[in-house]
Formats: sequence, structure tokens, C-alpha cells
Amino acid sequence: MPSGLAEAWAIAAKDLLLEFRSRTAFLSALVFTALVLAIFNFARDPTAVSAADLAPSVLWITFSFAGVLGLNRAFSLEKENRAIDGLLLSPASRTALYWGKTLANLVFVGAVEAIALPLFALFFNVPLLDVLGPLLLVIALATVGFVAVGTLMSSMAVNTRFGEMLLLVLVLPFLVTPVSAAAEMTAKLFAHRPFAEWAAWLKLLAAYDITFAVLCTLVFEFTLEE
Amino acid sequence: MTAIPSAERALRRGGILMTVGLVLVAGVYVRALAFTPEEATQGLAQKIFYIHAPSAWVAFLACGIVGVCSLLYLFLKEPRLDLLAAASAEVGTVFLTTVLVTGPIWGKTIWGAWWTWDARLTLTLFLWFVCLGYLVLRGAVDEPGRRARYSAVLGILGALLVPFIHVSVLLFRTLHPQPVVLQTSRPQLPNSMLVTLLLSFAVFTLFFVGLLVRRYAWARLAEARAEREADDADASR
Amino acid sequence: MPMPPANGRFMVAAYVAAAVIYLGYAAWLYWRTRRH
Repeated sequence: MPSGLAEAWAIAAKDLLLEFRSRTAFLSALVFTALVLAIFNFARDPTAVSAADLAPSVLWITFSFAGVLGLNRAFSLEKENRAIDGLLLSPASRTALYWGKTLANLVFVGAVEAIALPLFALFFNVPLLDVLGPLLLVIALATVGFVAVGTLMSSMAVNTRFGEMLLLVLVLPFLVTPVSAAAEMTAKLFAHRPFAEWAAWLKLLAAYDITFAVLCTLVFEFTLEE
Repeated sequence: MTAIPSAERALRRGGILMTVGLVLVAGVYVRALAFTPEEATQGLAQKIFYIHAPSAWVAFLACGIVGVCSLLYLFLKEPRLDLLAAASAEVGTVFLTTVLVTGPIWGKTIWGAWWTWDARLTLTLFLWFVCLGYLVLRGAVDEPGRRARYSAVLGILGALLVPFIHVSVLLFRTLHPQPVVLQTSRPQLPNSMLVTLLLSFAVFTLFFVGLLVRRYAWARLAEARAEREADDADASR
Repeated sequence: MPMPPANGRFMVAAYVAAAVIYLGYAAWLYWRTRRH
């Protein structure tokens, strides 16, 4: 295993261990998810709006908020511990640092999504199992795209005056492509539409992920102090 | 350290250029309103085009400058590139705002709705958010070196985001036919309208350059003054 | 030939709004940078 990857895993493990000890962020993300799902259910008129029409949007609003909460968590962890200084002194490369943090964020957001998804299926009566494979792919791709950019923005926002608010302002325009693509594909999947109808979105999302994963890796070092 | 003479010259020239530009914009206003024929199907509201389209062109030009300067800054580390990017972002935001204000007003007359997630306006909206984020980021970082680095990172990311948003919106619209009140294909512009449009493009670009030069020159002078004050504070310690 | 819609109000609104934005920014920039 190349040393960079091992370093990244080590950094991710450290982050996740810290999170696992306190668990507050994870729990608040879960509670928030359940709340959003419940509100959407109560706020609609079941005779006028079918659950199936609303379902993709609800799912992705929920996941987006979970993602933002995840990034905020990582962000406040950095701020509290000033852990970044310790990491910079370590022999880990900048790239390993970036991917370690991104990996930790991915695991966190992924864990929230893993619990939110069955909850969603439960509340909205959506038959997930027959499209589960493609759906998981869509969720994974969108999450990677979102977290890759978010981790980079987070490393900048942590050194600024407005902190978390700035993180949100910076990240939101970058959510458009992954979330809209994912929502579109989710809608097609739930409606059992053929692959040809959503193939273009898949390509767009894949292109986005590759472009921004590479770009963020390349520019990450500029967000660190010399 | 004294103030920079070239920047002071640029400040003056920028001031002249932007004033001339503004007067010429007023001239285009007169030409568009009084001396350009009314379009047959859309009526008077079509004339908004002579403000809207050139503003959009300038806004994208400004954002292009931000993107290029950001990229160059990361390689060359030249502070002037950062200041130019910042100036372009601020002036560009002004033009983006105009596009976002005139667009829906025109749209209301064509589409019957203020906002229809039209491909170009939606792209402009998100570009506006990115520019705003860029300006807020700059306001949130005090140290010039870090501010320049962070801005450059956001500038590059933002520039690369543009094609993705464009494709996202196009893809959405081709797959979801939108209800339209009046179909508007790009009309064949008769000569006088074309002349007005071209004049408008030229004049708005001139106005933009004037604003940009003035804003950039001022940024350089402000930076020099801040350095001077920091040096003085250090010296008196 | 059908009459074009009477939407002069929109035209005026857009032209005025753009003028306010541009004039406003130009004036603000000019005065703010008068003394460096």
C-alpha cells in the first residue's frame, strides 16, 4: 500500500475516533434527518401529492443537510483541537492530509445516509430494494462530489472570521450539480425508467466527481499555512 | 515607502474612462429608447435586450478574468494578480446583478413568469452566488497572503463550476419541457437594431474597463497604505 | 399585423433599475477612491 494511502487512512481513523467518542454530531444529524422526513410527511396532503412525486426531493434535501452537518462537524473539530498544526508537523503529505479528512467526512456522512435511507423507505413507502444497486451508486457519487469540495472549503473556512456561515455560503453553489443530478436519477429510478433516460446525468455526475476530486487535491496545499 | 505613482495614474485614467463610459452608456440608452425601432412580437420590452445582453457579456468577461488571474496567481504568486482578480470580482458582481434584475423583468413579458429556471439566468444566478462568496471570503481573511491564496482557490473552483452548472441546467431543460407563454427564437435583427446592440456591447465593455482599472488601482494603493501603516507600527515599537 | 403588447412599463423599469445599479456603483466607486 503506498505510503500516501496509509497516511490518509491514519488521519481518517484519528478523525473518526474523535467523532466516535463524542457522537454528538452524528446523533444530531440523525435526529435532524428523522425530523425532516416527518415534517415532509405531515406537511403534504396525501390525496393531492403522492409520496412518489415528493420522495426524490425529500431524500436529497435530507442528504444535503446531513452532508452540511457533517462538514460542520469536521470543521468544529479542527477549530477546537487546532489539530491541523499537529498534522502539518507530521511527515504526512498534503495530499494524504486532504484525503484523510475527506475520507473521515465520507464515512460520517455515509453513516448518516445509511440510517436515513431505511428511515426514508419506511416513512415514504418507497420500494427501494429493486433499485437498490443503482441507487447506492448514485448516492455514493453525489456524496463524494459534495464531500470532496466541502472538505476543501472547510479547510479554508476554519481560518476565517465567519467560520461555519462562510462554509455554507461557499459550498452551496457547488451542491447544484451533484444534488440535482442525484435527485433526477433518484426520480428516474423510483419510477423504474430505463437507464437510457438518466445515463446523461450519470455521466455528468461522474465528470463532476473526477474534475473536482482532482482539482481539490491539487489546490489543497494552498489552503495550508507554509 | 511612498505611494505608487503608476497606480495613481491608473486611478485617474480609470476615473476618466469610467466617466466617459457612463456618458456613452447614457448615449446608448437614448439610441435604444428613441432611435431604435420597436420589435413586432415582443413590443417595447424587447429593448431590455440592449441592456441585458451586453451586461451578461461583461459579467462573464469579468468572471473569466477572475478565473485566469486566480490560476496565474497560484503559479506566479504575484500579488497584483490577486488584486486584479478581486477588482474584477467586485465589478463583475455589479454587472451580474444587473443581468439578474433585467432578466426577470424581461422574462415576465415573454414567459409570463418572473423566473422560469431558464438556462442562462440560472447559470448567472449561481455565478452570482459564487462571486458573492468570493467577496465574503475576502472580507473574512485579514492577512493578505492567505487572503490571496484562498481567493485564488475559490476563483479556480468557481471558474470550473461554470460549465457544470451550464450542462446541469441544459440537461434539466431538455428533459423537462417548460410551459412557455410566447416562444421566442432569436430574431433576425434588422440593421438599426444590430447597430444599437453592437454599440451597446462596445460601450458597456468600455465602461467595465474603466471601473476595473479604477477599482484595481485603488486596491493597489490601499494595499500599499496598509503595508506602510504596518511598517510604521513595527518601527515605532 | 397584430399589435405588440403594451409593456412599456417593464422596459422603463428595467432601464431605470440598470441605471440605478450602474450609476450607483460608479458614483460610489468614484467618491470612495477620491482620496487614497
